[in-house]
Amino acid sequence: MTPLEAGLVRYLESHLQRASSVAITNLSRIPGGASRETWMFDASWEEHGKALTAPFVLRKDPPASLVESERAVEYAFYSAFERSSVPVPHMRWLEEDPSHLGSPFFIMDRINGSETNTRRILEPDLDPSRDFIARRMYEILAAISTFDWEGSAISRVMKPPPLEECWKHELDYWEGMIDANELSPQPIARAAIRWLRANPPPPPKRVSVVHGDYRVGNFLYNSEGIHGVLDWEMAHLGDPIEDLAWSFMELWEAGQPRRKGGIIDEDAAVRIFEGASGLKVDRDALHWWDVFSGVKAQGIWLTGARSLNDGRTGELILIYTSYALINLQDEILLRSLGKGA
Amino acid sequence: MKPDPPKILLVVAGALFGQLLPEVRTPFGQQTVTLAGGVLGMIAQEYDRAAARLVEENEVLVALLGTARPVVTAADLRERIESATAHVPARDLHVSALQAANDGLRSVLIDVQAEVESLAGTAARAVNGLIWEELRESTRRRHLETGRG
Repeated sequence: MTPLEAGLVRYLESHLQRASSVAITNLSRIPGGASRETWMFDASWEEHGKALTAPFVLRKDPPASLVESERAVEYAFYSAFERSSVPVPHMRWLEEDPSHLGSPFFIMDRINGSETNTRRILEPDLDPSRDFIARRMYEILAAISTFDWEGSAISRVMKPPPLEECWKHELDYWEGMIDANELSPQPIARAAIRWLRANPPPPPKRVSVVHGDYRVGNFLYNSEGIHGVLDWEMAHLGDPIEDLAWSFMELWEAGQPRRKGGIIDEDAAVRIFEGASGLKVDRDALHWWDVFSGVKAQGIWLTGARSLNDGRTGELILIYTSYALINLQDEILLRSLGKGA
Repeated sequence: MKPDPPKILLVVAGALFGQLLPEVRTPFGQQTVTLAGGVLGMIAQEYDRAAARLVEENEVLVALLGTARPVVTAADLRERIESATAHVPARDLHVSALQAANDGLRSVLIDVQAEVESLAGTAARAVNGLIWEELRESTRRRHLETGRG
C-alpha cells in the first residue's frame, strides 16, 4: 500500500460514519490538473454488515501550480451548485489539515461514463452529438451567470466587487500576478494592460458567478450531453461576459479556426447564451474581456514558469506551458489587439 | 560535439514516443511521457537558434531605442535608454548574458511605448508603429512548432 493509499484509508475510516474494513483500489492520477493534483480511486467498506463501494476523486494541493488558489473557495463553489441546473459532482469532505495526505485536499464523488478530453470531442463518432453538447455548454453557462448566489455557500467565502469595478478587480489581480511572476519583461502583455485600463467595459447588469476557466476540457461530456462542470479553482464573482470571452479564446480552438472550443461558432454561442440567460452581450465588452483573457492566460503561464524556475515544482506540464504557450499567447494577444500579422 | 545536440534531443524524444509510450499503462504516465517528448522537441528547436535570435533582437532593439530617444521627453527614460543600449555584450555570446541584455532592452521598450502612446505628433506615432512591428517580429523569432493543431 502506498503512503497516499494508507492515508486515504485512515481518512475514510474516520469520516465514513459506522464504516469498517475500508479498502482503496484503482488509485491513479488523472492527467491534466495543472492547478491541483487530481486522483481517482474506488473505496469499499462495510456498514451494518453490508458491503458498499463508491467511486471518488481527490483534489490535492501541489507544492506549486499554475494557479495559486484557495481550495475552500473552490469547494464552496462546487457545493453551491449542488441540486441546481448546473451539473457538478457531489462534494464529500474538505480537509485543510495537511497532516492526513501531506497537503490540504478535498474529496468528491466521481461521475463515471464521461470525459473531459478536448480532442476526443472532435472525433467522428461524436459528430451527431457535438451541436447538442455545444448548446448545453452555453445553456449551462447561462445558468451559472444567472445563479442566485446570495445566501449560498459562495457568499460565505467571497464578497462581490462593486458592479462598476468588476473589470478593475480582475485586471488588478492578474496584473499583480504578472508583476510577481514574470521571469522576463512582457511588452505585449503590458501594452494590452494599458489598453484595457484606457478602454474599460461598461458595468454588467448584475454581479454573477464567474467560473473563471469555463471551456471545453473543463466539463464532463459524452454523447448524451454534459454531466459535470469541473475545475472551479478560479471561480469568483464578477461580470458574466468574462466567462463567455474566456470560452471563446483562440487558444482553445483546437485547430478548428474560429470554432470556439473547436465545437461552435461565436455568434451561435452568443445567441444560445443570450436566449437562455436573458442577458444581452455587449460586443465591445466581449472584446474587452477577450483581451483581458489573453492577459489572464499569460499570468497563468508566467506563474507556472516562475514555480518551475524557482524549483517549487517538477511538473512537466509546467515546462510545456512555459515553452509552448507564453509566446503563443503573445501571438494571440497581438491579434486580439488588432496588431497581429 | 557530434551528433548535434538537437539531433540527440529528437532521438530521445523519438524513443520516448516510439518505445516507452506504448509500454506505459496509466493515462497520467502517458501524458507525462508525451509532455517529456514534446518538451525535448521544443528545446531542440531553441538550442540552435537561441544565441542568434538574441543577438539579432538585441541589435534591432538598440537601433529602435536609438530612433525613439529624440522623441522621448522624460529625461530619466532617455538615461535608461542610454544605459540599456550601452550594456549589450559585444563578445559574450553566452545565452544568459544575451538574455540579460535583452531583458534590459525590453524593459525600457515597455516604458518607451507607454510614453509615446501618450504623446501627440507624427514622430511619436511613427515610433509606436515601429515598436508594434518589432513586437510582432519578436513573436516570430520565438515561435516554436509544437504540433498543436
